[in-house]
Amino acid sequence: MTAEPLGRALSDFTVELDVYSGPYEWLLVLILKEELEIFEVPLRELVESYLLARQPDAANGLERDTDFAGSAAALILLKSRTLSPEIDADAENLEDEPLSPQELTERLTEYLKIRRAAEHLRECFASNAGHYPSAHTLPPRQGALVVEPDRLALAARQAFSRHIEPPVRHLGPITVTLQQLAGIIRKALAGGPISYESLTGDMDRMNRAVAFAAALSLAQEGSLTLIQAEPLGPLILEPS
Amino acid sequence: MKGPERGPQPRPAYLVEAVLLVSASPIQSSDLRSATGLSEQEMEEALAGLKGRYAPEASGIVLRQVAAGYLLSTNPACSGAVERFRQEARPTPLSGAAHEVLACALYLGPLTRAAISRVRGVNSDAVVRSLIERGLLIEVGSHHDAPGSPALLGVSDEFLAATGASSRRDFPPVDSLVTQEELARVRERLVPSTAPPDAAGEPS
Repeated sequence: MTAEPLGRALSDFTVELDVYSGPYEWLLVLILKEELEIFEVPLRELVESYLLARQPDAANGLERDTDFAGSAAALILLKSRTLSPEIDADAENLEDEPLSPQELTERLTEYLKIRRAAEHLRECFASNAGHYPSAHTLPPRQGALVVEPDRLALAARQAFSRHIEPPVRHLGPITVTLQQLAGIIRKALAGGPISYESLTGDMDRMNRAVAFAAALSLAQEGSLTLIQAEPLGPLILEPS
Repeated sequence: MKGPERGPQPRPAYLVEAVLLVSASPIQSSDLRSATGLSEQEMEEALAGLKGRYAPEASGIVLRQVAAGYLLSTNPACSGAVERFRQEARPTPLSGAAHEVLACALYLGPLTRAAISRVRGVNSDAVVRSLIERGLLIEVGSHHDAPGSPALLGVSDEFLAATGASSRRDFPPVDSLVTQEELARVRERLVPSTAPPDAAGEPS
């Protein structure tokens, strides 16, 4: 799921929930980065918080309401998708066969026990909160470190297991090649220097990106010169 | 150059107290004895004296017996002052999902991420990652029989310290946390009655 970036209209809106306390914008970031489970966030309380903090008479009141409505709708959609069964055929852990009532009972019984155990743990954490140990930390001793191969392998697995493949579903198929764009650039340069902006003005994002790569490639082989007078300024392609 | 003046040999309790003071994690009794050179009996007497001296009602510092060791910590009653001094808020409480994952690791572990997700019925990878970063969950091995040898997860010493437990045995059996009535309700809702039909209704 993707969400449109928020404006800054809600930058001063803070929320107080059991699972999170702080700026609303950060809450959205934590959810989208999957550092906070969406189904742990009580959306009803969130909306009530906003209604209490709503500023209809503010200069940007309408913008705030619009931003909140948009982001809240996205959260509802995300939560419903998270809670609904996965329908993607490629999804992992998809169970083809429905569970029998006995199997379902076993699973629910096991989950019920875990749920009760979790409630017990919550009490344990709460009753032991507020203990702060010594702030003294031992400096590492040079030459005294013994690294066991098993522990090293575990550490490596732990480090690399955090890498998550970035989602690429939003990317469409690449329908243009570097050679095609290089041909377009060469043709445009026949008429003299041309700016990158005017060259790619009627191209989509994909073509612009490939055009830039093609321009770099042509510059590297000496077919053209790239001139940019100032950082982030206009980029001019000039025939060599 | 003259070294620092050394007075008479300090009392055993002083030695234990000094070593505990500089440790940020629980120290096992054997490590305490190794560091202080005390006998087992001297150690027991020293710890008994320190337990009284650092009881919650007697000091701003408490001696805790957690994660199979001993740890000096601030008294929770003084946590407000400590947090103001350190200018930091108390860590955010764990979410319900995080408690469930820890309960899985505590009672069913060591187990893989997939097993945790299966028990909870939802993908738990993000919660697991967060708990590993907080040091409450650790990888304790790998499941060699499964494809890819996924990591097996268990609870850490930090988890035991945070819950005030000395070991996993300090937690009540999971079956004792659920009443028979609750379990019966689950069965009643899902499993159709298996009672034999009335004999009079049976075909002859």
